[in-house]
Amino acid sequence: MRKRHLVVGAVVLALVAVACGSGATGTKTQSSGGVKEGGVFRLGTSSGIDSLNPFVAFQQDAYAAFEYIYPTLVQYDAHLNFVGDFATSWEYSADGKTWTFHTRPNAKWSDGQPLTAADVAWNINTILKYQKGATANAAGYVSHITSAEATDPNTLVVNYDAAVANVLSQFQQFFVIPEHIWSQHLGHGGADLKTFDNAAPVVSGGPFILKSFQKGQTALFEQNPSYYGPKPHIQGFGLQFFTNDDAMITALKSGELDGVETVPPTNVKTLQDAGFVVKSVPGVEFHDLIINSNPKKTTNVELLDPNVKKAFEYAIDRNKIVSVARLGFAQPGDSIVPPATGIWHDPNLKPIPFDLNAANQLLDQAGFAKGSDGIRVAHGHPMAYTVIFAHDEAGPGDRAFQIIQADFQQIGVKLTQRALDDSAAFDAITAPGTTGYLNFDLAMWDWVPLIDPDFILSVVTCGQYGGWSDSGYCNAQYDQWYKEQSTLTKQSDRVALVYQMQDQIYNDRPYIVLNYDDQIEAHTKNWTGFVYSPQGSFNPLSKATMTEIHQV
Amino acid sequence: MRGADYVLKRAAFALITVFAAITLNFVMFRALPGDAVTNLSRVPKATPELKHALLIQFGLDKPKWEQYLIYLKQLTHANLGVSFDNSQPVLKNLKTDLANTIPMVTLGTVFSIVFGILTGILSAWRRGTLLDQVSTNTAVAFYSMPTQWLALMLIILMATRYHFPTQGISDPFLLNPTPWAHIKDVLRHMFLPSLTLGLTLYGEYTLVVRSAMLETLGEDYILTARAKGLPPSQIVRKHALRNAMLPIATLIALSLGYIVAGTVLIEYVFSWPGIGRAVVEAVHNRDYPMLQGAFLILTVSVVFFNFVADLLYFKLDPRVTE
Repeated sequence: MRKRHLVVGAVVLALVAVACGSGATGTKTQSSGGVKEGGVFRLGTSSGIDSLNPFVAFQQDAYAAFEYIYPTLVQYDAHLNFVGDFATSWEYSADGKTWTFHTRPNAKWSDGQPLTAADVAWNINTILKYQKGATANAAGYVSHITSAEATDPNTLVVNYDAAVANVLSQFQQFFVIPEHIWSQHLGHGGADLKTFDNAAPVVSGGPFILKSFQKGQTALFEQNPSYYGPKPHIQGFGLQFFTNDDAMITALKSGELDGVETVPPTNVKTLQDAGFVVKSVPGVEFHDLIINSNPKKTTNVELLDPNVKKAFEYAIDRNKIVSVARLGFAQPGDSIVPPATGIWHDPNLKPIPFDLNAANQLLDQAGFAKGSDGIRVAHGHPMAYTVIFAHDEAGPGDRAFQIIQADFQQIGVKLTQRALDDSAAFDAITAPGTTGYLNFDLAMWDWVPLIDPDFILSVVTCGQYGGWSDSGYCNAQYDQWYKEQSTLTKQSDRVALVYQMQDQIYNDRPYIVLNYDDQIEAHTKNWTGFVYSPQGSFNPLSKATMTEIHQV
Repeated sequence: MRGADYVLKRAAFALITVFAAITLNFVMFRALPGDAVTNLSRVPKATPELKHALLIQFGLDKPKWEQYLIYLKQLTHANLGVSFDNSQPVLKNLKTDLANTIPMVTLGTVFSIVFGILTGILSAWRRGTLLDQVSTNTAVAFYSMPTQWLALMLIILMATRYHFPTQGISDPFLLNPTPWAHIKDVLRHMFLPSLTLGLTLYGEYTLVVRSAMLETLGEDYILTARAKGLPPSQIVRKHALRNAMLPIATLIALSLGYIVAGTVLIEYVFSWPGIGRAVVEAVHNRDYPMLQGAFLILTVSVVFFNFVADLLYFKLDPRVTE
């Protein structure tokens, strides 16, 4: 253990030697065009990096780390438009089946080896080759791709068997790993790709090199002198992994950190009062009440009645949930495509208001009279339902449940909470078996959609039974629209269909979207230049933040 | 019964316990609803193709009896399998987690043993006095405090004021430390978590030592020793404590055995990357190989230290084998 820490210490000496500082105290730095150069930014996070292997990792911070150490063809800008990263320009054929990317010339990996379009082609072809095995977690990115080739070191041609609408979104998430390192790990039918630990120091192509990594503790990134893009102002940055938000906020306050990735709403005021910069941005994460919409459901079939679902939505006080459960750091929900995704959210979609009278009226009209205990009776049984409550939702979600439970009591519906950990919750939702969706009635969970709407629109398709579907929703017409939107390369056409689809889901109500969480983060006043987004400033959407931040 | 018979019998019992634990570990975690693949239900990368590929990679598509036989076979080669979570050998993951846990938990455990024995002896010697009451009640109060609450209180009261770190094992931004600076840094990080552990555990020892001591202190030979004018320290050390050691030895053995279980609550509050935390995450992720491996090590550790305690009994009190 001691040796490891000495290595880490030596690395940090190298990192900080030029800059001699870590933010809070005075630092010896150079100014360049008015911007202070140097320093090491210390970021606290309650997420983590589960693995340095892109074929294995699932955690958010792992992807953000990959964003900074590996090239992607494109990235998002601050307005969520696509701009170049390793690719400088691109075009596609009239039928949408051939895409050509022009990549940066004379680029190098951090070990001096050339970084060219051939690396990208190798990545694509390798993922294609093993997509049913070791590279399955990247199979989505190469969907409909038949082959890729580098016609010269700076030109990549990608061939599709059909027009694909979200090519750029897929390549934005596609981390290019070095062929000369990874091609040595193709043994056991490609299985070695997953067991290779890709230990630090990692051969990198992005603005930073991952110099050292201790799982569950820290990850240190150092400026990559070989990077093809704009040189960062900082010498490096470090991530410190916390399992406890309160301890993380304490560390920020006591000067051990320069910034934290997420701030619980309960800490916002104390941090602001202590002089920290606290920034809140509408996020993409949303919380929902799930109503089992499996058309083949046999018990509690009143839940398939659109008027019953509408009554449920009338009985949900979104504003109260936002102010009490989220302390105001959220927006009331409507569509499954969040407003923070920009053009993809239908601005004309207006949710119905909180109205207990309207709810009661609808249920009266359905013929579900209230019993002597105040609970309505539907088809011979009381309207009493168990709400599967996923562990993810604990804390603010418990408050939200209590608010909903109390209001549902007023419309004659009894709710009981059944808290389960995430694996058990999904198991209970899909029961019997993994594709049944027959046993559950209601659930509360969340989603974190991507900016491109394809993913969140897919979770309610019939094909996602046993996959992402947590509602049992299955509508053949909707599935057709989903398939169609994935081929519309003309954005205005695609937007129109996406609006139609989210309106359909809103009206069919497999989900009642409660709210969209704000993304809250904080840092000391000594730093500036952060590029905020619905996923925070340290994110897998672009390389901007760590490249642009600097000391004040 | 001769000594050798006793040792052999205890050794055989230990081995049977370990084997029973191996089987129980296999069955127990698979009884939980859901599995490692179900756990990926929220992840955008988790396409049906990936889930299928993972099922095969994890061997979860095979019938359970076949999985059990593969598990046993791997164990005979000292292979604890590969983690479902990060695709690395379980032994490698556990080595890192244990290397992080053992120093911190050992420090806290040793503190609780030493401090608990001292306060137990003191309370027993001064039985009935105000000192006894204060000592015993304080011990019980700390013992009954929720660990995570005490940890958070220590963070609030001590972390900022006395500059004790609240995360991890050492400071990643410490510049090229000398060995002494490094040791100081690690000890500073270890201080609050070990103190929390020590405080919540020592009460056990106080009470057990106190009651064991009271028993022996009431014996006639103690009265004789006092009458002979022996100093209290000699009476306690040579006569009373030695005869009270049996229950204390059991407790110490169990405590040492449980060091490798880590302390989940403390590790979560202090972001200590230890085995307790790893086990909770493995339960959440349904990472069967990690769970089987961690619980096997825990079983072996507890059984081993109990076996050592059994041997110690024999030395402490030869009457035990009769």
